[in-house]
Amino acid sequence: MDLQARLAVASGICLLPLAPLAARLAHLQVLEHRQLQSRVEGEVLHAAHEALGRGEILDRRGRLLAQSVPAWSCFLDKTPIKDARAAAERLSPLLAMPASEIRRRMDTAARVVRIKDGLDGAQFSAVTESKLPGVNLILTQKRLYPNQELARNVLGIVGAQEHGLSGLELVFDERLRGKPRLLAYLRDGSGRVIQNASGPAAQRPEPLRLSINRDIQFHAEEVLREATAQFKAKGGMIIVEEPATGALLAMAATPPTHLKNPMVQDTYEPGSTFKLVTAAAALEESVVSLEDPFFCENGTYEVSPGVFIHDHEPSANLNLQGILEHSSNIGIAKVAEKVGTKRFYRYTRAFGFGLKTGVTLPGETAGQMKSLPELTKVVLAASSYGYGLGVSALQVADAYSALANGGTLYEPTILDGKRPVRVRRVISEKTAQTLTRMLEGVVEHGTGASARIPGWRVAGKTGTARKVDPRTGEYSNSAYMASFVGFLPASRPRWTILVVMDEPKGQYYGAQVSAPVFAKLARRLLAMEAVPPDADTNLAAVP
Amino acid sequence: MIEKKNQARRALKVAAALLFVTAMVWQHIQAIRLGYQLDKSRQHLLTLRCSYGMLQGDIETLLSPANLSLQARSRLGMSLGSLDSLRVLAKDPAENPCSGIFQRLLSRARRTWNASLDV
Repeated sequence: MDLQARLAVASGICLLPLAPLAARLAHLQVLEHRQLQSRVEGEVLHAAHEALGRGEILDRRGRLLAQSVPAWSCFLDKTPIKDARAAAERLSPLLAMPASEIRRRMDTAARVVRIKDGLDGAQFSAVTESKLPGVNLILTQKRLYPNQELARNVLGIVGAQEHGLSGLELVFDERLRGKPRLLAYLRDGSGRVIQNASGPAAQRPEPLRLSINRDIQFHAEEVLREATAQFKAKGGMIIVEEPATGALLAMAATPPTHLKNPMVQDTYEPGSTFKLVTAAAALEESVVSLEDPFFCENGTYEVSPGVFIHDHEPSANLNLQGILEHSSNIGIAKVAEKVGTKRFYRYTRAFGFGLKTGVTLPGETAGQMKSLPELTKVVLAASSYGYGLGVSALQVADAYSALANGGTLYEPTILDGKRPVRVRRVISEKTAQTLTRMLEGVVEHGTGASARIPGWRVAGKTGTARKVDPRTGEYSNSAYMASFVGFLPASRPRWTILVVMDEPKGQYYGAQVSAPVFAKLARRLLAMEAVPPDADTNLAAVP
Repeated sequence: MIEKKNQARRALKVAAALLFVTAMVWQHIQAIRLGYQLDKSRQHLLTLRCSYGMLQGDIETLLSPANLSLQARSRLGMSLGSLDSLRVLAKDPAENPCSGIFQRLLSRARRTWNASLDV
């Protein structure tokens, strides 16, 4: 055999053992290629949506009310852990959690247990660098409210999955979540990850800018808290609205809750604050003139056999101005008789009562109004001074805003930058001006004297309504809703402010309880915004 | 001679092929390494975003009216001023008798100039 042949045989003998390997390789790479590839992809390739931060919520002036930051949840796979106690001791300082608590969470039948949520960047880095076996960190988001409890009844809350559960977080949930990008990623044997984006680019959520002014909200909440404590009330509500646009500047409620907004979701009997509707109808329809006297029966009036209306301050003859200043129920009932059921019903609806305002807050109630056939003589009389019907606080504030801006009802809005939505003209400018002067009279020489602010013209109305005792179904002698609603400065109104106190103890009239709260808040707003006094008051300059 | 040249060419081809394969393998390894580095950078970015967000929140909390009010009352002994203690000065210094003479003269001159432009 020559040299070449011998070399060929020797090579063949040396390479022969590789033949089965080559055959196996060909079998795997060619014949079983597709099947193996899908298995590998199933174990190594994953897809998930990018954890996109939830959109910010800002106040009117761009200050942060809510934001989301990246956070991590720590999970523990118990399989590779030999010594649970040692693992807990090592994890404890990294997670700022007692080791006993970690062990308690590990002490379940589940293989993978959640140890802690909401880890910040420093904790994430510390846990990652520790390279503890079995520890996994999942990226999530944490919702923060830098102003703590401020406006939380409006903002609402988010759940564990960063979905809105109440308030604006619920209403604008889709907008605040944005559209995350789909990410494909490879995970190697040691758990390291390589990401590839595979879907369209993410749509980051735009910040949600509210009409709420953080400072006004703060003052409203503080004043309300103090009043609730002072009068030992069950609760209270304050709304501050911009009458020219319907923008809601503050919505405060006690007791504080994240789950509901009582100003749009609850109803109450408004009492004498509803006299605005009756008076407006009478003036606009010219069924009553400013000088017409109404005999107020010296405090007791039998409107129907066996049915009596009482005034808290007996009077003889009062004109419409006097009826409002003294808050005479008998007087306004007689005005309502002149207005008639049809006109009264029409003006009730025109002012927005019995209808939803359209504000973008969840769970809004339309209130409860009697239908036209139900407006008997007695029901009309009671309705004329705000009994026998249910209204929301927002409806009342909105109605008075309509008066303040010259007679146009606007849709209240919680969003900034939204064009004011004009609902309808309710009354003429002339009627609005006349009524405003009357309500100024209520504050100057009537029941609303506690709302007076020297140097500024204030227009408003008190309201005191008995609550129905749920046990007996009759009006209680000890439970009242005390309210005051007004706007200032009356010459060019900037704010409509509604104050409602639920079951104040001791004093319970709107004049005693709510009007001073109105004045307290109004003073703060006037000082804060440096609103100059109304033109006809002359204050000396600083010496 | 010719055979030697052929052998040299063959050797070069094999070397080039080996170099090419090595380069492809190296690129693949580098891509994986870059992927790991990118992921590490992403994680770092997230931790920075978290810190930034927390700091932003802290600033808002410190500047919140509740905190400022608390600090003003408890640490500085301040209290809310009454409305009576405030005086609103006119925006235009010329209308304010308390502003300086130069301010008033300047303001008047500015108003005259603006009026002449309007004409």
